[in-house]
Formats: sequence, structure tokens, C-alpha cells
Amino acid sequence: MNAFQGRVTAALADPTLKTAIDRTTNTARSKRAAAIAAWPEFAQARELGRDMKDHVIANMEYYLTMFEANAVKTGAKIHWARTGQEACEIVVGICKAAKAKSVTRSKSMLGEEIGLPHALEAAGIERVETDLAEHIIQLAGETPSHIIWPALHKTREQVGELFRAHHTDPGELATVEEMVSSARRNLREKFMAADVGISGANFLIADTGAICTVTNEGNAELTTTPPRVHIVTAGIEKLVPSMVEAMTMLRLLVRSATGAELTQYTTFHAGPKQPGDVDGPEEFHIVLVDAGRTTMLAEGLAEMLRCLRCGACMNHCVVYRQIGGHAYGATYPGPMGSVITPSLDGLETSQDLPRACTLNGQCHEVCPVAIPLPTLIRGWRTKAWVQGYEPLHTAWALRIWEFFALRPVLYQLASNLALRIMPLFAKGGWISKMPLAGGWTRYRDMPIPQGGSFLAQYKKRQAAK
Amino acid sequence: MKNNPPRVALFATCLVDAMRPQIGFAALALLEQVNCLVEVPMGQTCCGQPALNSGDQDGTRKIAKHNIKLLAGFDHVVVPSGSCAATIKKDYPDLFETDPVWHAKAVDLANRTYELLSYMSDIWGWRPKNVSCATTATYHDSCSGLRSLNVQAQPRAMLASVAGLEMRPLEGANVCCGFGGTFCVKYPDISNAIVAEKAAAINATGADLLLGGDLGCLMNMAGKLHRDGSKIRAFHAAEILAGMGDGPAIGETA
Amino acid sequence: MTDAKQAIFAAIRKTLPAPAPAPTIAAELSQLRARINATRPDRVSGPADEVFLERVQSPGVAATAERINSFDEFPAAVMRYAVRHNLGLDIALQPHPDLATLNWSGCQTHDHIGTDETLAVGLALGGIAETGSLIFHSSQISPTLFAFLPLHHIVAIPYKNIWPWMEDYVASFAGKSPPRNVNFVTGASGTTDIEGALVRGAHGPGWLHIVVVGSPGL
Repeated sequence: MNAFQGRVTAALADPTLKTAIDRTTNTARSKRAAAIAAWPEFAQARELGRDMKDHVIANMEYYLTMFEANAVKTGAKIHWARTGQEACEIVVGICKAAKAKSVTRSKSMLGEEIGLPHALEAAGIERVETDLAEHIIQLAGETPSHIIWPALHKTREQVGELFRAHHTDPGELATVEEMVSSARRNLREKFMAADVGISGANFLIADTGAICTVTNEGNAELTTTPPRVHIVTAGIEKLVPSMVEAMTMLRLLVRSATGAELTQYTTFHAGPKQPGDVDGPEEFHIVLVDAGRTTMLAEGLAEMLRCLRCGACMNHCVVYRQIGGHAYGATYPGPMGSVITPSLDGLETSQDLPRACTLNGQCHEVCPVAIPLPTLIRGWRTKAWVQGYEPLHTAWALRIWEFFALRPVLYQLASNLALRIMPLFAKGGWISKMPLAGGWTRYRDMPIPQGGSFLAQYKKRQAAK
Repeated sequence: MKNNPPRVALFATCLVDAMRPQIGFAALALLEQVNCLVEVPMGQTCCGQPALNSGDQDGTRKIAKHNIKLLAGFDHVVVPSGSCAATIKKDYPDLFETDPVWHAKAVDLANRTYELLSYMSDIWGWRPKNVSCATTATYHDSCSGLRSLNVQAQPRAMLASVAGLEMRPLEGANVCCGFGGTFCVKYPDISNAIVAEKAAAINATGADLLLGGDLGCLMNMAGKLHRDGSKIRAFHAAEILAGMGDGPAIGETA
Repeated sequence: MTDAKQAIFAAIRKTLPAPAPAPTIAAELSQLRARINATRPDRVSGPADEVFLERVQSPGVAATAERINSFDEFPAAVMRYAVRHNLGLDIALQPHPDLATLNWSGCQTHDHIGTDETLAVGLALGGIAETGSLIFHSSQISPTLFAFLPLHHIVAIPYKNIWPWMEDYVASFAGKSPPRNVNFVTGASGTTDIEGALVRGAHGPGWLHIVVVGSPGL
């Protein structure tokens, strides 16, 4: 059993996990469905969103240059990072230069991807996660299991236990409301005391140099406004030409993520505090991170760079909904993760991810920017096959199958022979155990073949005419 | 269309050929009702989907070329499976993107290829007459047919004309059953968890029959239902439409 | 770190060797923009201020709202709200000159926002009918934290400053240099992070009350 299979086995054996996954993803799917039903123009908007992102990606150099120039005009300091490690070094360097003791962080999947939480801790800087879900998993010492709901794998009972152990005056914690209220009280002073606030960016607005964050809790603004320094880490693919395109993207992103029409707090941050401003940071840094984006571009995964990180693909994925996010063993779980992870971590170690997919296509159907996820997933399988990663037994089974499939006469002989053997394993009409069919019969019965093959019976029927 | 009535090849699919020939005969019966000149090309084996979905594009191209040659000259090619039809219709052309000669041939085949249920309804506007099946049934949409070929309303519309048949909606009818071709044997534990949920939804309908348009998915669901002791019986929708619903269901002996 | 920038651009050029000339990019972009109007949810069917009032009170946004005839009536509306919610009349008043000139007798006001402020009163720059959003531009008279720290936030908004669609707001400021923060506030703070259940008052305000000032008929 490899590492992936081991994690899957553990996940499937955990009944609490399935309960937790169902509670959130069921709500997410039904709320999204309602939001899309109330938006008949969705199909057109989805195509527009796709084309806007493709336009930006095709002209990435142009828009990155534009963004940098405009961001500099707002007083932002721009940094470029080729790798996650380089990005972390830049962020830690800024924190150290600011003599930061405490850093608040607003949820950013890029931050998780590049290992920023760990880098901050390794540098001895207190890290305070402010998104409620990130706060929960920080207390639990875990990693996110979903890109929108990082603590999706936790039930309310488990959250209650964590807060009881870690919060000051947690109260009864009998309801989710009481848990939220306890987190609010416990994080309040941390927001105000932080030296540096770190956020991601949902969009980089090329023509103003602003960055956009979306949250429902308001934690992004509380993270970025009080501290002296605001650091943004953003993937270079997050560009949109202007605020106008950001509006189309927001309509698509928010409905797809949570089923709301707009996040409660949608903020465009442009530079540090301006003359006269009462609040806001004195320094504003934007770290533009490649970390594999240009490699994806080169690998034929340009379509994946459209991704808005809405999470709809995983909410609708039958595999994700059984095994949860941690089983994927990577920052990004679900269908989008199965495309991204082999590029980030290498195909050999993550080859199971694209393979553990039924290619049912629902992820593509719900994707707000129409990323052809099943096609990209199958693309990885092609690479895995070419590179010889397909397990030997299935590779040989397929080669034997192909040999016969190209030789119809032999095929029919072999198939009619097999059809005569199979019933020997049957009881009634069904086979519950048969050599070479363990993957099937461990959990299901296999119907016995009806008799001779269709072609053989058809030939007989035609001959009798 | 060159011929009137059209010359139609029935591509039975490897699963139907081996496991449930009755679906092939049901397809023949339906195609004959709309006066097609149906032939069953004897050189047919498999569409190549298992190889394609395992990443073996070279192997799939060989099989695709075999089928493109085999199915040349027919006005229509009809397939009683959404996923195999989609392989021919959608994937064959993509496989030959860099080979203009074969690409043109693949596109030509793709344009002539149809999934059986949508073919009967969309091309012929066919509805069953004098077919009865006095029972309750529910319908599962197989993913490839649904999402690649837009097969959804057609089977339901045709089944609505079967006398005595009461259709019950299936919660999550458009959600994958966990079959996924080789997926179900490569990752049996995950596949089982998915089909267990599907089986629960099917049981919850209280219907007597489970119907669908793809034998792979039907075998997966029927096999799970049978293992769990459910009394629900499974048929390909074409069998019911062809009036074969009184025969043995999947896994039942005659 | 210019090395890193050069390396990233070189990597982009490996796949996209020939950047299109700016006019070509601009032409392509304007074609995309021409498609936007057809994709907007067909919702702003009436006067923007009416649609806005309806949207902010819809279940998705779930703010409370009222309309007053003139700005002079705003302090009374604030006091009614405070009484209704059993709040004291110690108010963090956004340091906006239009608010400062109102008659706040009966209340105690201060012009800064505390970490645990109960009630803040502010004036939005404007609003968006489509989404039921309030818009704030950070400035000397509109500190950002007023919208995030209080438990209750009461916001006045002149009916004339309500744009029908998000794009209309954007168009009004196109080409101008942006404020440090543009905040779209759409309802009170909320979270669904525990089991997907919506709870209000996560970190930001738990209650948002919107007061539309004036109407076209007056």
C-alpha cells in the first residue's frame, strides 16, 4: 500500500470525517445551485470569465509590467520570487526588518503552498491565523483540508474541544454561535497588537496596482489595517486588467464558492497609508510569486492558471467527498489539486492523484472559468503512462487487452472462452469472488455473463435467417 | 445522409458484447423500429476507453484507427453507451490533433456517431408504442452521456411513454456512481464508498427497477445493490423501451 | 531581486515568446468588455435606490435598513436603533464633516474607533444596488476600521450615490488614483467555517443597519 492508499484507508475508516465533509459540502452545493439558478446569465458569464483569464495569461508579461508600474505609483514595494522558498525568505526578511514580534495572517492558499506558516515559526515570529478556520487548524496543529473551508474536516464537537483547551474564557461552547463568539474575543487584541499583517490576493488589478481580498469575516481588513506593515503574497496568475474585469470575476467566484452573491467584505488595497489617512500600514509590500506557475504554462497547463480557488470542484467531487482533503497529501485537494500537485510536487510522487478520479466531469461543469479539469487530469495520466509510472499489473493487463482489441478473431475466441469460464465462479446469477476480479468483488457482486457473446449470438441469428 | 433509410452500424461495446447481449438485441430492435438498415460489423471489439483513461494514447490511437476503418461508410454509428459513444465522438478527434489525415477521418466518424437513446429521440423523435412495463423505476444519468453528449431528457421522455411504468426521481441522479472504468478496480475502497452512497439513494426511491444508459455503471450499481441484499433490479433503458422488461434483469439467470 | 523578475519573465517568454503589441491587447480587451453587460444578473429593474434597499434586506445580505427624508433626521434614526437594541448612546462617530455638523444632542460621540466598540456610526461614499453593497474609500474622514471593529455599525448613504451595477461604480472612478482602501461592505460579518453553518459577527460587525437618506420624490 503506498502513502496515498494509506491515507485513503485511514480517511474512509473515520466516520466523523465523513460527517464533517457532508455537513459543509452538502450546504455548499445546495447554496451554489440556488445562486446559479438565480443567475440565468451564468453560462455566458462563465465563458466571459474564461476568456478574460485566458486573455490575461496570454499577455502575462504585459499585465505584470503594468501592475508593477501602477503598484509602485501607489507606494507599494514590489518583490519577485521564483520559488516558494524565495518568497518565504522575502517575507521573513521584511518581518525582521520591521522587528516584528507578532504577525497576523489572513487565509491565503498561496501562503500554505509556499510553506509560509512554517517559515514564520522557524524565524521565531509569533503567527496568528485570523480566519476562523485557519485559527481552528492552527490550534489543532493541522493543515487545511479544503481551500475555502480549511477546517471542513472538523465537526462542531471537535472545534468545541479545541477552543475549550486553548481559549481564555471560552464559555459554554454549546453552539456554533458561542464558538464564533469565543474566537472573536480571543483574537481581538491580537489583531490590534500585530506588527505585520500578511494577506494573499484574490486579484491583482493591473491598471491601478491594487490587490483585492475577499472575506466574509472581515479578518483580512483587520489583518491588514492596524499593523505597521502589510505584506501581500500573490501568484503571478492572479492578474486582471482592471476593476471592471474584477467585477465579472467576483460574480463568478463568490457564487461558486459559497453561494452568496458577494463576499461581505471585498477590499481593494492600494499602497500604504496616504497623507491624512487615519489608519492603514506605513509599509505595503507585494511579493509576486512564480513557484511553478511558469512551469505550468510550459507544461500545457495554461488553463489551470485560470483557477479562482473557489473550491466548487471539490465540493462536487465524489472522491473528495469520500476521502476529504488531507488524503490528497498536498496543499490543494480535489480535482484542481489533482492537476496542480503533480506540477508542483512532481508526477512520480503524486501520480495517484490524477488516477484516483472517475473522470465524471462534474468538476468541469461547475468550474466558474470552465477549466477542463478531466482533460487535464487525463493529460497527467498520459504523462504517467509515457514515463512508465503505471503499475505493472494494470499496464500489462491493458497491453494484453489492446493486443486482442486489434485482432477481432482472436478477441472473440478469447472472449467466448472467458464467458464460459466465468459462470464457474457464480452462485445464482452472481459472482461474489473470482480470480483477478478482487477489486470488483471485494465490495460488489458481478453479474454472470448472459451466455455467448453478442457477436456470436448475432452471427447465429443471421445465419438462421 | 447518403441512404434513405440510413445504413446504421451498431457498435455494441465490449461490455455489452460480453456481459449482456440482450442490450445489443434491444438496440437492434429499436433501430429496426425506425427502419434503419442495421448492421453489426463483425470486426468490432472495444472503443479503447480503458487504454485512453489509463494514459496510453498510442495504444488508443491504434484501436481508434481500427474502428475508424471498420465504421467507414456507414451513415450512422449507434452505441448503446454514453461513455463509449463519447470516446468515439469527443476523444478520437483529439487523439489525432497532429495528424491531419486521420484527424479528418476521426471527425467524420465523430459526426456520424450517436449514443443510442439520444439517437432514437433526437434524430427520429421515436416514442415506444404498445410497450408496457407495470412497475416503478428510477433513472441514473451516467456521467459521460450526461456531460459530453447531453443525454438527460431523452431517456426520460421515452420512458414516459411506456405504459404502466411509474418513474421515481433519484436524488443525485447526475452524481457519479463511482464506476469510472478502471478507477473502480484501481481504487476499490473509494469506489465502494461512492457506490454505497449511490445505492442508498437508489434504495430510498423505493422503486423496483434501476435504469440507466451505460452497462458499466449499471453493473457497478446492480452489483452493489445485490451484495447489500437489495431487491432492486437493473436494466439498460433500451431493454425496457424494446419491451424486454419482462426478461431477466442484470445478474438474473433466465 | 531583479534577477528573480528577469528569470520569471524569461520563463514566461519560453511559452509565450512574442508579447502582443499594446494596441492589439487593448483591442482584445475592449471586445471582452463589450460582453459584460449581457452577463450581469438581470436584477436592477427599478430605481437604483429602491433595488438597493430591497437587496440589503434580502436574506443573502441580511442587513436592516430604513429611509429618512433628510440628513438632519439621521441622529434620531441612530437613537431609535440604539434604544431598540438596548445599546448605550456612546457612539464612535466617523470623523466626517457632514456627520459632525448634525445635532447629536442626547448622545456622547467620539471620533475614533476602539477595539471593542459597541456602536459606530458612519457615512458611506455610496452603494451598489445590484449587490446591496456599501462603498467606503479610506481617507482622513473615512478611517477603514470604522467598518470592521464595532459590534453594531449604522451607516448613512445618500440615495443619489447608489450606482445600479458594480461596473457603474467602477466607471465613476476610472482613471483616478485609488484610495488606500476601497471597501465593499455587503451585510454584517459572517462565517460558515464551522460545518458550513452561517454565524454573524465573526470578526467584523454582527449587525449592520443602513439608512438611505432622501428620495427622488423629495
